[in-house]
Amino acid sequence: MEQSSMDLWKPIKVIRLRVYRYNPKKDYFPEWREYEIEVSRGTTILDALLRIKEEIDPSLSFRYSCGQALCGSCAMMINGRQMLACRTRVLEVAHGRDLVELRPLDNFPVIRDLACDFTSFFEKHRAVKPWIIRKDSDELDNPTGEYKQSIEEYARYYQFTDCLKCGACYSACPTTATDHAYLGPQALSQAYRYMVDSRDDGFDERIPIVDTEHGCWRCHFATSCSDVCPKYVDPAQGIQLLKKLIIRRKFGLKPHRPAEVLPSKIGEVKRR
Amino acid sequence: MRESTKMLLHYITGLLIVVTGLIHLLANNDPNVGKLITGNVYLYLTNMSVFLASLLYHAFNGIRVILIELVPDACWTRLIGWALLLIGIATYAVGIQVLLMSLGLV
Ligand code: SF4
Ligand code: SF4
Ligand code: FES
Repeated sequence: MEQSSMDLWKPIKVIRLRVYRYNPKKDYFPEWREYEIEVSRGTTILDALLRIKEEIDPSLSFRYSCGQALCGSCAMMINGRQMLACRTRVLEVAHGRDLVELRPLDNFPVIRDLACDFTSFFEKHRAVKPWIIRKDSDELDNPTGEYKQSIEEYARYYQFTDCLKCGACYSACPTTATDHAYLGPQALSQAYRYMVDSRDDGFDERIPIVDTEHGCWRCHFATSCSDVCPKYVDPAQGIQLLKKLIIRRKFGLKPHRPAEVLPSKIGEVKRR
Repeated sequence: MRESTKMLLHYITGLLIVVTGLIHLLANNDPNVGKLITGNVYLYLTNMSVFLASLLYHAFNGIRVILIELVPDACWTRLIGWALLLIGIATYAVGIQVLLMSLGLV
């Protein structure tokens, strides 16, 4: 029998959502609270949370904005893994069982329930100067044309422009878990993104920030960060390339060999 | 010293440990290489001092990395670095003295 599109939204299962509840201002300890809701095939974790908030428990706190995997604000631990709530379907993560567990991102202080404090994460992001730094201030003030770039130059940093700043990689990083001063995969891969941009002149300005005791050398290349990135950015690779960049510079070598990044790479990345 | 220099030395000493360690093993176990190396006391001494220096740098830098990750505090990081450097130099001095004595050079 043919299935109508409306059937996709018919409730087909009751799921128990086990949610972490904690208000550090009031509670001594966090606690788990369970909510039962009916879900259909298309119900996302964010839909489920919104329904709980509207119909069962208005005190539940979580963060979201775009609802379509673009803003990065709904990242949380879903069944123990860093994921975007708006892009994750309840039935997909339930794996045939009737229980899904939600808790705030690891490695972040909790503000309330599922909402985390991103202050230090954004401070680290800002610390690497994530913008184009130019020496030609006259040209900047009175531009005579565009800053042109070849496809090979663009391919060097293309994948890192997809970063949502969702914090999933930071939350999965075992180094960040122990070393709170570590810049983390997001900031370091963004440093790489700007340091290899052919329009940028800020290489020397960023070196004292990333080449430190708590900078890129603390990455042990466990790649947990790349494993959880919802946008398929590969921050672990970015950090290794950043290390290579610094070492090549030490020996007076050019940042990249000409044949290192081929135009086909862009197609490859886009197909993922 | 920049962190990249410290880590570059870490990788280089890792390689040196393999090379000089292998020479050390062969010198003691392979009759041909043994004759060549142990026959020349200065060659043996050079290999062993490079081996010991690499081993100590690599090991103590590894400990430094673990400690600064566990206690990420700027003042503590500097203290750890200096303390390990001093312990490393003292251990190297004792090691070289033992080596010179065993070779009958002092
Ligand atoms: S690199 Fe990926 S996981 Fe990390 S903040 Fe950016 S989008 Fe999120
Ligand atoms: S690869 Fe590096 S940055 Fe990524 S999780 Fe591992 S230690 Fe952290
Ligand atoms: S709400 Fe924007 S990414 Fe999920």
